[in-house]
Amino acid sequence: MVRVPIEVFRGGAGTPNRFDKFELELEEHTPILTALLKIRDEIDPTLAARYSCRQAICGSCAVRVNGKSRLACVTQVGPELAKRGKLRIEPMGNQPVLRDLVVDQKPFWDRYHRIEPYLIPDPAHPMPVGKENPMSPEQVAQFQETPRCIACASCFSACPALDSDPDFLGPMALAKLFRFVVDPRDGAFHQRLETVQNQSLWLCLRCNLCVEACPKDVRPAERIVDLKWMANQEIGKREPGSKHSIGFAENIQEGGLLNERRLAMDSLGLIGTLGQLPKAITMMRHGRSIKKHPPIQGREQLDVIYNAMSGREDLQHRPMSGEGGVRGKAPTPPPAAASPPPATATTTAAAKPRPSGETKEAHP
Amino acid sequence: MQKHDVLVVGAGLAGQRAALEAVRAGRSVGVLSKLHPLRSHSAAAQGGINASLGPQDSPKDHIFDTVKGSDYLADQDAVEILCNDAGPTVIEMEHFGTIFNRAPDGSLDRRAFGGASYNRTIFSADRTGLALLQGLYEELSREKRIHVFEEWTAIDIVARQGVVQGVVALDRKSGAIEGFSARAVVVATGPFGRMYPNTTNSHASTGDGTALAYRAGAFLKDMEMVQFHPTCLPGSWILITEGARGEGGILKNGKGERFMTRYAPNKLELASRDVVSRAIATEVKEGRGFPDGTCHLELMHLGKEKITTKLQEIVEFCRNFAGIDPVVEAIPVYPGQHYMMGGVSTNPRAETNITGLYAAGEAACVSVHGANRLGANSLLETLVYGKIAGANAATYAAKAPESGLTQADVDLATKKLHVIWDRKQGESPAKIRQDLQKVMKENVGIYRTPEELLTAQKKVAELKGRYANVYVQDKSTTYNVNLTDALELGYLLDLAECIVAAAILRTESRGAHVRLDFPKRDDANWLKHILVQASPAGPKLSFLPVTVTSYQPMERHY
Amino acid sequence: MKVAYYPGCVAQESGKELDLATRAVAPRLGIELQDFPSFSCCGSGFIDESNYALNTALNARNLAIAEKAGLATVMTVCSTCQGMLKLAKRNLAENKVLRARADKVLAQIGMEYRGTVEPKHMLQLIVEDLGGAEKLRPLVKRPLKGLKVGAFYGCHILRPHDTMNFEDPEDPHSFEDVIRALGAEPVDYRGRVMCCGFPIQFVRPKTGQKLAGKQILDAKRNGANAMATPCPLCHISLDTYQKEAGREVGDDLQMPVFHFPQLVGLALGMDPIALGVKRHLVDTSSALEKLGTVGVPA
Repeated sequence: MVRVPIEVFRGGAGTPNRFDKFELELEEHTPILTALLKIRDEIDPTLAARYSCRQAICGSCAVRVNGKSRLACVTQVGPELAKRGKLRIEPMGNQPVLRDLVVDQKPFWDRYHRIEPYLIPDPAHPMPVGKENPMSPEQVAQFQETPRCIACASCFSACPALDSDPDFLGPMALAKLFRFVVDPRDGAFHQRLETVQNQSLWLCLRCNLCVEACPKDVRPAERIVDLKWMANQEIGKREPGSKHSIGFAENIQEGGLLNERRLAMDSLGLIGTLGQLPKAITMMRHGRSIKKHPPIQGREQLDVIYNAMSGREDLQHRPMSGEGGVRGKAPTPPPAAASPPPATATTTAAAKPRPSGETKEAHP
Repeated sequence: MQKHDVLVVGAGLAGQRAALEAVRAGRSVGVLSKLHPLRSHSAAAQGGINASLGPQDSPKDHIFDTVKGSDYLADQDAVEILCNDAGPTVIEMEHFGTIFNRAPDGSLDRRAFGGASYNRTIFSADRTGLALLQGLYEELSREKRIHVFEEWTAIDIVARQGVVQGVVALDRKSGAIEGFSARAVVVATGPFGRMYPNTTNSHASTGDGTALAYRAGAFLKDMEMVQFHPTCLPGSWILITEGARGEGGILKNGKGERFMTRYAPNKLELASRDVVSRAIATEVKEGRGFPDGTCHLELMHLGKEKITTKLQEIVEFCRNFAGIDPVVEAIPVYPGQHYMMGGVSTNPRAETNITGLYAAGEAACVSVHGANRLGANSLLETLVYGKIAGANAATYAAKAPESGLTQADVDLATKKLHVIWDRKQGESPAKIRQDLQKVMKENVGIYRTPEELLTAQKKVAELKGRYANVYVQDKSTTYNVNLTDALELGYLLDLAECIVAAAILRTESRGAHVRLDFPKRDDANWLKHILVQASPAGPKLSFLPVTVTSYQPMERHY
Repeated sequence: MKVAYYPGCVAQESGKELDLATRAVAPRLGIELQDFPSFSCCGSGFIDESNYALNTALNARNLAIAEKAGLATVMTVCSTCQGMLKLAKRNLAENKVLRARADKVLAQIGMEYRGTVEPKHMLQLIVEDLGGAEKLRPLVKRPLKGLKVGAFYGCHILRPHDTMNFEDPEDPHSFEDVIRALGAEPVDYRGRVMCCGFPIQFVRPKTGQKLAGKQILDAKRNGANAMATPCPLCHISLDTYQKEAGREVGDDLQMPVFHFPQLVGLALGMDPIALGVKRHLVDTSSALEKLGTVGVPA
């Protein structure tokens, strides 16, 4: 048992904001939720908090612990106390405080509902009557882990992009969107990417704070990169974001190192680049003229790499899990099964991995 | 005053499924839930959902296994519906978008589970409840016509002359109290295990709807049947899914013996839950447990790959709550309260004795689980009977007269609430709840004696006396957990009283109800349900015959 | 210790002062830099978004170049380069399909990736290979007394932690340890592990600048009179665009921002001009005056 000092935010509901200080005798491995419930039961029953399952499956009890977004039920007091010498518990970020540790989750749920979080059937591939849609373990491996998301909003709370730009859908909603985009049962692959491309896909900063905040290893930022990649493959250069990332790759092929002048032109266009002129002039005054690098040694090797690694077929290999995927956690697909569908230019069906059984024979 | 054809109380799997069915039948539907629907306790179900989709398997086998598992207390007509609808139900959930594990041929993968003759448990790793809840909520999200009232606590179910009128509820966010007039009401508020300290249930599992239905005059059934899950992490009482044994996990006692060979020589670790729980409790009681009073669940031999992919959440539970890595270490386990077979008594149409009042899921008792529920049948029940409840409530509501819920009903419920809330002093709900939990743990456990049960009866009565003086220190109208704690404690006390009364009456041992003074099953006298109804003098007990269609009671062997 | 020096694009062009400072400081710390004119860009996170397989293969080539020279370490001076090289390493280790493709294309250009080389940022190298921040203390000739420095880590040196394998991804301390060893006082502020806004400077500049502004303001409000960063992209956000950032948060920030090796170099007694501070857009003289060295007007 150790003496654990805890500061808990109190406020909202018309009361002034303050921090109440408590001291508890606890085992070091005690979850913060248990500590809060002990405060409620033994010291101050007026402390408002949201909680239910106490086992990281209902997603109710996310708070900020010393500034970090955490699920109270699986965050132990000891390590955090050892690190910072204090335990400061605050309500989540990016959502208005209702009272004490309880926030109004409307901003979070509103964004979730904006992505149309349900299967949109493909009229060309109706669900088989009376039986399941056949999907190979390799296909399901791409999104097998997506139900791990418990909608706790820890990622939402931690996200600095949301904090600075309310247009952003946020990590959870986009990770959830990924789940539908890669699901072969969903018929709105192109439409979903089209929509999100126009919304806020490119506002993700890739800061990966959501990856660290997530108690279930959903890795939202990595799923967002997957979405950007799929949008780039499917739709191409359209938004400043896609222009920038596709243009960047083309830029590097040219000389091996970044041509900053060309980048501005590619991403911002002529008008945008002209808008940057005053900045460029200021920079030049500081000796920072932007010249073009000479090409790197072995620049021609890049052409070989670009040729070999281009093409759409990676669409199937990119998403999470499996030997064919980035994370390497799910059952491993045999190479034959993971082989890509033929890459044709525009049709959704070809661009997207389809269930192995979802053929004309299966649906006469 | 809100007004709907059908009002569903509770938004877990049963409630959401009922709402979906009712709205698609063309009725106006409201859903009241004290949690956001995705935070429901359904999410905590781990192992899977049964459906006899395997090539050798059949609904008939599933029916027999369920009836046998129930120790013949289940109503067989209800079990037939459950098992016959299982396949279509699971496939429907797949079509809704639920992400299940797949077999190499692309079909739904199946795992072994306790008391089942074949591998018939469809699963999504070890988070099947969560995957189903998401799949169903996604489908529900299409229905813009459904009005979900999130974070509202029901405080009264109003019935007059045996006909339901509606519900009065408290908005947790604002403190507002509002009437919800409805022609039909579906109770789907889930479990009430929080009367035990050693429970796998969430903090929200306080039986709100079951208790309110009881207060409104509904019969409760099979309340003495309390399931203890064999493998929980002592202390935190986090559940370790039966799927862990289904995937090949074995149990050992302190002497390193695989003791299930003595209790269930054929099914071993996959005997029914009552059998395995008693085996573990007996080993420990007779001195063959580990020094910490546990037995060990070993998964190590399954290999890292299988454990970390199919039992991923279990790995995290063990790490977070017990500091154990199940890939290299055994998991200390002991039985904990897990499931209430009892609940609001319904017939196989999900109807209660109150016209217009329906119930489904763990809040209800059809009874498909009888004296002992088989693993992976509860998720199935929520969906099959949730749908039936929604369909029948919708049909009824289509021709039922307008509800007669009045402002006077709302005022009365408000007044009763304020009696508690406005009290200037008294005892904290936390203290009374802790004492209730102690009473239930010590006296109404796996093994029951008349002395302990009578003690429990006396103590619960005392606690109800203390509850009359319960004090809510928090006077805020915003997210007042102190107030809802007090209300929930009232629900738990009523239901605990029913459990104890029924357990005293049943002088036999059947399924989860084991009386040391009556160690044998007694079909001659006790092949019947106990019903409980509220009366001014306390729980009034009566009987209901068990419906037997195909399977006459036999002795159980696993 | 001999390392393959991976300066990255920015340090070779618009942020040349970072390269200057690195080359000045490295030998004093016992780091021998070997240059490789064949290194390409790391992809900066953007190629990953348009073609992750390409991004992985490009960095497999970069790593293979260092491996071929028999070196065990690639030293980066940019959080983003560090992040991309480590991400490639993770992808090549975990994704066998991708690894096979990368191996094949490298073979076509006569190269091989074995996975023996480890990318490390200069900060990480000091902490892990050169004996820790405390080893800097005896080298200090001009203690940075009076400087209250807000360390600004840059996301990719830290996160995701299971890719970067460096230190606590939300609560690091290595940079502060170095600042302390150099005689300055580190400032504790939440913004130190946040995003500088650079990744969306081209997508939605105002949001990017607002982010930079918030972090600078956070440092300032917690008492910082200077900031320092191990990432030249962060430096662009924090220094080059500081004026715009200030506009977004309604504060005349006036915060000198040093590159990590510049800060080390100042403590080692080097000439600020040789370290390239004149190239900054925000005047550093307020900080340099505290060190008793000549202010350099912007």
